Amino acid sequence: MLSLIVWSPLVGALIVLMTPKEKVRAIQTVSFVAAGVALAASLTLLLNFDRGSAAMQFVERWMWIPSLNVQYLLGIDGLSYPLVLLTAFMSVIALVGSLGIKERVKEYFFWFLLLEVGMLGVFAALDLVLFYVFWELTLVPMYFLIGVWGGPKKEFAAIKFFLYTLSGSVFMLLSILALYFKSAPHTFDMLELMKPGVQSLFDPRFQILAFLGLYFGMAIKIPAFPFHTWLPLAHVEAPTPISVILAAVLLKMGVYGLLRIAYGITPLGFAWFLPALIVIAVINIVYGALCAMAQTDMKKMVAYSSVNHMGYCLLGIAGMSATGFSGAAFQMVNHGIITGALFLLVGVIYDRAHTRDVSAFGGLALKLPVYSGLMAMTCFASLGLPGLAGFISEFMCFLGAFSAWPWPTAISVVGIIATAAFFLRMMQKVFLGAFNEKWAGMEDMTARELISVMPLAVVTVWFGIAPKWPLDLMNKTIEHMLGK
Amino acid sequence: MLNLGLLTPDLVLAGLALAVMLADMVLPPSRSRWLYHLAWVSAAGVLTAIVLGLGKPATMGMGSLWVADSFSQFFKMTTLLAAVLCLLLSLDYKALPARHAGTFGALMLFSTAGLMLLVSASDLLLVFVSLELVSISSFILAGFERSNPKSNEGAMKYFLFGAFSSAIMVFGISLYYGAAGTTKLAAGLAAPGPMLILALILIFLGFGFKASLAPMHFWVPDAYEGAPTPVTTFLSVAPKLATFAVLMRVYGTVFPSAQYELQALVALIASLTMTVGNFTAFFQDDAKRLLAYSSIAQAGYLLIGLAVGTPLGLEGVMMYAFVYVAMNIGAFAVIQAVGEEGGYGLDAFDGLSKRSLGLALTMTFFLLSLAGIPPLAGFMGKLYIFASAVEAGRWWLAVVGVVNSVASVYFYFRIVHRMFFRGTRGEPAGLRVGPHVYGAIAVAVAGVLFFGIPPEPLIAGVRASAHLLP
Repeated sequence: MLSLIVWSPLVGALIVLMTPKEKVRAIQTVSFVAAGVALAASLTLLLNFDRGSAAMQFVERWMWIPSLNVQYLLGIDGLSYPLVLLTAFMSVIALVGSLGIKERVKEYFFWFLLLEVGMLGVFAALDLVLFYVFWELTLVPMYFLIGVWGGPKKEFAAIKFFLYTLSGSVFMLLSILALYFKSAPHTFDMLELMKPGVQSLFDPRFQILAFLGLYFGMAIKIPAFPFHTWLPLAHVEAPTPISVILAAVLLKMGVYGLLRIAYGITPLGFAWFLPALIVIAVINIVYGALCAMAQTDMKKMVAYSSVNHMGYCLLGIAGMSATGFSGAAFQMVNHGIITGALFLLVGVIYDRAHTRDVSAFGGLALKLPVYSGLMAMTCFASLGLPGLAGFISEFMCFLGAFSAWPWPTAISVVGIIATAAFFLRMMQKVFLGAFNEKWAGMEDMTARELISVMPLAVVTVWFGIAPKWPLDLMNKTIEHMLGK
Repeated sequence: MLNLGLLTPDLVLAGLALAVMLADMVLPPSRSRWLYHLAWVSAAGVLTAIVLGLGKPATMGMGSLWVADSFSQFFKMTTLLAAVLCLLLSLDYKALPARHAGTFGALMLFSTAGLMLLVSASDLLLVFVSLELVSISSFILAGFERSNPKSNEGAMKYFLFGAFSSAIMVFGISLYYGAAGTTKLAAGLAAPGPMLILALILIFLGFGFKASLAPMHFWVPDAYEGAPTPVTTFLSVAPKLATFAVLMRVYGTVFPSAQYELQALVALIASLTMTVGNFTAFFQDDAKRLLAYSSIAQAGYLLIGLAVGTPLGLEGVMMYAFVYVAMNIGAFAVIQAVGEEGGYGLDAFDGLSKRSLGLALTMTFFLLSLAGIPPLAGFMGKLYIFASAVEAGRWWLAVVGVVNSVASVYFYFRIVHRMFFRGTRGEPAGLRVGPHVYGAIAVAVAGVLFFGIPPEPLIAGVRASAHLLP
């Protein structure tokens, strides 16, 4: 079943590649079917997913390269399953957003589906080499998606993204190799590497080195300060649906890797790094929020808010408590949904006005009531208004970190205030005040735009009011990770 | 015991080369293309014969002047595969004079036969003789476009550097003879001492010229740029890999570099080669020069495996060598297809994706594979080589390797950038590509994908072949 989820977009991509490029409708249909199969299949797993178990479920295991003991090993647990769901879901949403792409449609959907394969694979893979292959598989499609269909500085953004991420991941590869040779018998199997018998072979000094290599790769992806500089550029230059994917899924790969691999396999290295991690988390939160505050470009503002939100994840992780870990895991999902919606909404206004400058607008609430309503709700969710999804997870991150790190957590609260400030200021400038007559001809959201944003809005409210359901998915696994 | 039978494939190939030359006299000029076909079919035939004969026990011949072990068979296969693909490419290369078709085909086969002898040689005498056979054929091949001044310049440089490095090597061999009293390559004959070490270093430098290791790489860009593209393709693959085979025989098993404290030197040269190759490639505006520097860098990665010197490292070299045949020939085949029409400047690649999406995508595959991005074959090769460095605890070498891989993406993607992000000059016109070039590209794509996604067959083959007779 997991193979079906991971590979159905690839089948779609190959069919797209063989379709003549004039048949735009056919290409779009194939893409929707392929991504739809992945989503439907991952939803059906809900029926059989055992929430009471912390073990890996739906495991598929074959030998891939016997001489190196590399396996084709897929499986999901409470940590990865929500992310698989998120990926499949956001891919369909981003595909709806992609219907507006008019240029080189065939290539676009080919790369998009290939990207989806990589993302789904990262969350499902339990073998380190397989994980690495999927991890790298996301780079090339993303390079093209940013570089061909992006904004004015797209080409530079694309290569910067590629080189930046790659330089991190090659060090991750070295760590993976080191873990392989240090374990006995040599294995790339994540679950084997987490077992106490193998763990006892890893002395603390080795774990610290291996952790640093892994962390370097993950930190760039997250992005954790000071490796965040690729993010604003890539997010702003990417076309709207790709910004959605970048924010909603690609950043999660880093946090997921940190929890699953860096924490799971090199716990001593992780513990050694904790004091630095908490500082990085605080910097991400405060600095990200302050940077966002300084932006006048709405998309850039949302991009920096991602740096800030990933800081909450790191804060929750650094707390090393069940609440913090759950908060971080839940924050990943929520950030994906909320920021995805924000990017879509910013894209809506950019398509009409061809500017994203906050000061170019004013009083849009009268003219575009539906749009303004959705935007307001999403912004509130992002800044952590109680009753919406973002609040629950952010609160849990703070709560989880507070007992271990009271002072850093207290400083981080400043970040919340700054976040609230920049979102409110943006709303005030764009939606309130005197109406800018320049936009008199602007129309409210179209059906396609509504279809792409509404599901996200519904989920935001749903998770805000009833967080028990998603949290239940994760609980057992997280308790198990913390050894309870 | 004179065991000439072991060299049957090599001798048959040399005989066929003569046959191609003779056929040139008989055939009318209008039929000259037949000679290329004859040449590649000969190479393919010998390749098939070797493949069918795999698994025979390894034996030595003529007082161990040459050996036929699975290791040498492996490298004979890579050489022949490269020769077949390059001869296919020359069928669609227009700048070759038709009336010299026989000479061209024969010279390619001669140099292939020389390379086959080289990988079998277990005596420095035979090593030198076969290396000269390769060199002299290649000098002529590099200068084959007589009316093209660049071709002449490249061939001249190649010749001068080649002669110089031969001299160094002969000097090294003479020192070796002084230390060991024989030119036979076997451990224990020579008393370890400064003379032997100096001999080993000089011989290494001589090989380094052929394998385009820094700082013996200066001839590479000019010779590659000037030579006819199929010849460039051949030079960038076959002699380099065969030289690595000898290097592995000499410095991997007979005189393990660790025993003679040469490891640091080899590792240093490996790092230098990678870094010089990659960082000079940044500034190239000619596709052939760019790939020339890339091939220097690739030699550096291969040398990591040798510098490590463990069984895993040597297997890594073999694995990467095989994969390198597919990806480098593929990349050069696309360059030839594009360059035949628009010249070899990088701007010829502008908007290639609009002219031929398939060609642009395959080129992207080859470049990604050269850069070592999974799931392509180049990644598996690099994984193996870096794994050997990590296993042996040579961290800094692995780090230099991966940093170089990242840097290489930058210049490989200058081509990708032009293919996908730039528009064509004027209307995008379709690209006419000869059927044989397509054939070669198809084989290369199959190799890059097949050895990348299920690499097990190749690894198993390498493991079975990694037994050297001393």
